[in-house]
Amino acid sequence: MMKALAVTSMLVLVALAAVALPAQAQRRGAGFSRNVQDYNAEYNGSFTFLRLRYAPLSAWGGRRSREAEWAHDWPRAEQHLAVMIEELTTIEPNADGSTIFDADDPEIFKFPVAYISEPGFWSMDDDEERTLREYVLKGGFLIFDDFAGSHWYNFEEKITTLLPEVYPLRLDATHPIFHAFYDIDAETLDEFVHPLQWIPSEFYGLFENNDPDGYMYGIVNYNNDIGEAWEWSDQGWIPVDLTNEAYKLGINYIVYAMTH
Amino acid sequence: MFEFFFKYRPVVFRQGDLVFQSPIPVWLLVLGGVIIAGVGVWGYARGRRNLERRPRIILGALRVSAIALLVFALTRPMLVIATIVPQQNFLGVLVDDSRSMGIADRDDRPRGAYINDYFGEDGSALLSALSDRFKLRFFRFSETMGRLGDVSELTFQGTRTDVASALDRARLELAAVPLAGLVVFTDGADNGDASLSEALLQLQADGVPVHTVGLGVDRFDKDIEISRVEAPRRVLQGSAVAVDLTIKQSGLGGRSVDLVVEDEGRIVKTQPVELPGGSEPTTVRVHFTVSEEGSRLFRFGIAPAEGEIVRENNVLETLIQVEDVQRDVLYFEGEPRWEVGFLRRAVADDENVRVAALVRAAENKFSRYGVTSPDELAAGFPDTREELFQYDGLILGSVEASFFTADQLRMISEFVEVRGGGLLTLGGRLSFAEGGYAGTPVADALPVVLDRRSGDSSRFFAEIEVRPTPFGLTHAAMQLAPSQEESQERWGELPALSTLNLIRDVKPGATTLLTARADGVSDPVVVLASQRYGRGKSISFVVQDAWFWQMHADIPLDDLTHETLWRQLLRWLVDGVPNPVSVVAGADRVSPDAPMTVTAEVTDSGFIQLNGAEVVATVTTPSGISQDVPLEWTVEKDGEYRGSYTPAEKGRHEIDVTARYDGAVVGTGEAHVEAGDLGAEFYGAEMQSDVLKSIAAETGGQFYTPETISTLPEDVSFTESGTSVFEERDLWDMPIIFVLLVAFMGAEWIYRRQRGLP
Repeated sequence: MMKALAVTSMLVLVALAAVALPAQAQRRGAGFSRNVQDYNAEYNGSFTFLRLRYAPLSAWGGRRSREAEWAHDWPRAEQHLAVMIEELTTIEPNADGSTIFDADDPEIFKFPVAYISEPGFWSMDDDEERTLREYVLKGGFLIFDDFAGSHWYNFEEKITTLLPEVYPLRLDATHPIFHAFYDIDAETLDEFVHPLQWIPSEFYGLFENNDPDGYMYGIVNYNNDIGEAWEWSDQGWIPVDLTNEAYKLGINYIVYAMTH
Repeated sequence: MFEFFFKYRPVVFRQGDLVFQSPIPVWLLVLGGVIIAGVGVWGYARGRRNLERRPRIILGALRVSAIALLVFALTRPMLVIATIVPQQNFLGVLVDDSRSMGIADRDDRPRGAYINDYFGEDGSALLSALSDRFKLRFFRFSETMGRLGDVSELTFQGTRTDVASALDRARLELAAVPLAGLVVFTDGADNGDASLSEALLQLQADGVPVHTVGLGVDRFDKDIEISRVEAPRRVLQGSAVAVDLTIKQSGLGGRSVDLVVEDEGRIVKTQPVELPGGSEPTTVRVHFTVSEEGSRLFRFGIAPAEGEIVRENNVLETLIQVEDVQRDVLYFEGEPRWEVGFLRRAVADDENVRVAALVRAAENKFSRYGVTSPDELAAGFPDTREELFQYDGLILGSVEASFFTADQLRMISEFVEVRGGGLLTLGGRLSFAEGGYAGTPVADALPVVLDRRSGDSSRFFAEIEVRPTPFGLTHAAMQLAPSQEESQERWGELPALSTLNLIRDVKPGATTLLTARADGVSDPVVVLASQRYGRGKSISFVVQDAWFWQMHADIPLDDLTHETLWRQLLRWLVDGVPNPVSVVAGADRVSPDAPMTVTAEVTDSGFIQLNGAEVVATVTTPSGISQDVPLEWTVEKDGEYRGSYTPAEKGRHEIDVTARYDGAVVGTGEAHVEAGDLGAEFYGAEMQSDVLKSIAAETGGQFYTPETISTLPEDVSFTESGTSVFEERDLWDMPIIFVLLVAFMGAEWIYRRQRGLP
C-alpha cells in the first residue's frame, strides 16, 4: 500500500513539473499587493489551506510595515500541496485555491488549519494574539514551518506569549501525526534535513496541558522548510526524496488535524 | 312543578306505557270530536263573514284545541307502570369505600359523611323509605368488594375505585334473588382496571337498573393536578431528559407556579409554569439532566395553592432507570473532514458514549480512531451483521452509496429496523441523494425524502441559518440552555452553517426538528429530522460543518453549545437501543398486592427473535427475598415472553431476567418497579357525573345527587325487575288538562269579546 502511494506521489510530482502554473517563483517580500486577500478562495466547506499574514519584525525588534516573510513559497507551495492532497487522498480541496488572512481576521475561524511561515520573523499585536489564541483553543491547528537556527528564539518567545502554559515538546516517530496517512518511520524522520541548509530537522508539538499523548494545538518544523519543497517540487531544485517526504508530512499534518 | 301540573313525576311517564281505557270506542269519540270541531270552524268560516281571515283562523284553532283536549280526556288515558311488590324484592346498595370519599368538597363535608346521613345509626327518611319497599343488601367497594353489615365498617381508605368490578360482583351475588336494581353511592372517580362497558352489558342483559348517587362536586373550587407523566423508562447517566407532564387546574387559571423536579429528594430543576386558562389540561415539558446512576424515583410537584382541598394530586412520581453503561457508536466517514475531529473532541469526555471513527483516507485506505482493540474495524467497514450489530449507533458521514456492497446497504438498513440501533446520517458532498442513496435500502430507513434529481444537478451549496421547529424547541436533544426560553434564544444567536444537500421533505411519520431558509429555495429546507424505523430510530442532520458552532468567531471560547449538541444528539441516537434481552415491567409504579406483568423481548446475538428460549425473571424484594417468575412466550409476537408477579412489599423491586437457549445464556436484562401507594384516588377525583349518568342511562336507572335523592325510593319502585305488579294511573284528571281547557275556552271568549262578537 505504502509503495503504491509513494509511486503515485512520484507520478504526481512529475505531473506537477509538467504543469505550467500561473504564478512563477517569487522572491520573498516582493511581487504582490496588500490586497492579496482578493485572491482568497470562498468558503465552501472543502479543505482550504490558510496562510497567516503577519508584520515581520524590524531589525530593532519593533514591528515594521508589512513585508512578506509570511508569504514565503506562496502561492505555489499550497497550490502544489492541494494537487497532491486531491490526487492521493479522498479529501477534495477547495478548487478555488487557498486563503490568506491576518491572525486577527474573524474569517480564520472558517479554516481550522493555519500555516505560519518563517516564524523567526513572526510578530503579533494584541488583537492578533487574542484572536489566534482563541483560534487554537477552539480547535484550530497551527503548522510552523521554514525556520532554523536562531530563529527559534523569536518563535519560542511568541509561542510563549500566545499560549503561556504551553512549551514545544520534541516529537519522535511514534507520535500519531507521523502515521495519520503515511507511516513515517523513525529513520526517515531522523534523516530529514532542511532542504536548503542541510541541517537536521527537528519536530516539536504543542500540546494541551503539555501532554504529548493529549490534544495537539500545532506542529513545529524546526530546521526545516517543507513549504520550500512543495513550492519547487515541479522544478527539480530540491531532491525528489526530500520533496516526497515533505509532501508526506504535509498530508499527514492535514489529515491529522482534520480527524483529531 | 312538573308533578303539580302532570299529577305524577317524570319517572312515571318514562317508565309507564300510555293506554286508553274509554268505555266508548275511541274512534267514535274522535269522530264526534271532529264533527263538533268541524261545526265550530264552519261557523267561523261561513257564519262570520264580516270577520277578517286572521281572527277567523285564530278562533277556529282555539275551538279545535279545546275540543281535541276534551276528546283526549274522554278517551280516559292512563299509564300502565310496573311497580315492585313491597318487601318482595331486593335492592343492592353499593357504597364507595375509597379514599376519595374523604374529600370534603361539598358544603365542607367529606363525601363519606353523606353515607352516614343516609344509612347511619340514626336512620334517615331515605333508609326507612327504602326499607319499607325493599330488602336491602349493602356492599362496600374500592379495589376490593364485600358485604357491608353496617356503615360504621366503612373506612374510606381504599386505594382504588373499581366500579365495574363492584357492579359485576353485586350482580352475581344477587343473581338468585328477585332484584329490583342496584344503587351505587360514589363519586364516580373510577380508576379500576375492569371494563365498565362489559359490566353494564351484563346488567342490561339481566334487566337490572343501576341508579347512581353522585357525591362530591363536578369541579373543585381550586385545584392543581399533575395528572400524567411521560418519561423515558431508561436513560444514560448524564443525559438531558425531556419529561412531559399533563397539568390541569380549576379556579387558578393563568396563575404562574413553580414546577419542582426532585431526584430521590434532591431538587434538580425548578421551572415556572403558567397554569392553563380553561378546564382543558395542558402539557408541560420539563428538561433536566440525570446525573445519578441506578433506579431513580423522580418526583414532579407544584406547591399547593391556598384553598386547595386536594393537595395529594399536586405531585406525581415516576421511576427512571439511569444507566452507567457505555454505548458504542461507529462513525464512518468517506473522507477526512473537520466534522470528524470536532465531533470526536466534543464527545471525548462522555464516558457513556464511545465513538469509534473509521475514515476512508484514500481508496481502500482506512484510518481508525477510538477503537478498543487491534481487531476492531481492522478490515474497514463491517461486512457481517454480527460485527455491525455490536454497535448501538451508526453515523454515516460523507460516503457514497456505491462504496458499500448491496449486502452492506441492506445491513445498514437492518441495523435500524431489526437490531434497533440508531442511524445518524450527516450532510456532505457524498451524502444523501448526492451520494447516490436514492432507491437504496438505506434510503428506506432515512427520515428524509431524497430527490433523485438533485444527484444529477450541479453541486448545491447554501448558507443556512438553522432554527428549531416548535417540536424541536421542546426536544431534549435540542436543548442548548437550562430553560426552553434561553435555549430558543441561543438557537437564534448561532452562526449560519452550510449544506451541500437540498432536502425539502420528510417522510410521513418523520419529525422535523431543525429547519432553515436557503437562498434560491422557496420553502424552508430540512436540517434535522428523525423517524422510528422498525425497532430503531433514524436521524438525518443535513449540514457539512456543524463544527462552526465550536469554531466560529461569534462563538465565545467558553461556549459549550457544540459539545452539548453533539453529546445530546449521540445520547439520543443510542437512547433505548435494545440489548439482546430487553425487559419491561407493566408499570414503573404499582400498588402492593396488585398483579403486574413482566415482559421480555429475547433475541440472539444477530438480534433475531428467539421463540424457544427458557426465560426466567428473578424478582428481588426490598427486604432481599428473591422469587423466580417463569416468563412464557406470548405466541402473539416472536421473541416476546410474559409473566405476572404480585409484589407483597412496598418499595423498590428489582427484576433480573435471564434467557437461555439450548442451555446457554443468550442474554440478561433488568428492570425496576416501585411498589407503594400510588395515591390514585386523588387524581381525577372530582365527582364524575357524566360517567354516573351514563351508567344509569344505559341500564334504565337514574342519576341522583344529595339534592334529588329524596325521590329515589319511589323511583326505584317503578321497575319490571324483580317481583312487580302493573298499576294503572289515570291521566284524564291531570291538572294540566283542566288548565289548558280553561285557557283555550277563555282565550276564545276574550278574543270574541274584543272583536265585538257575542
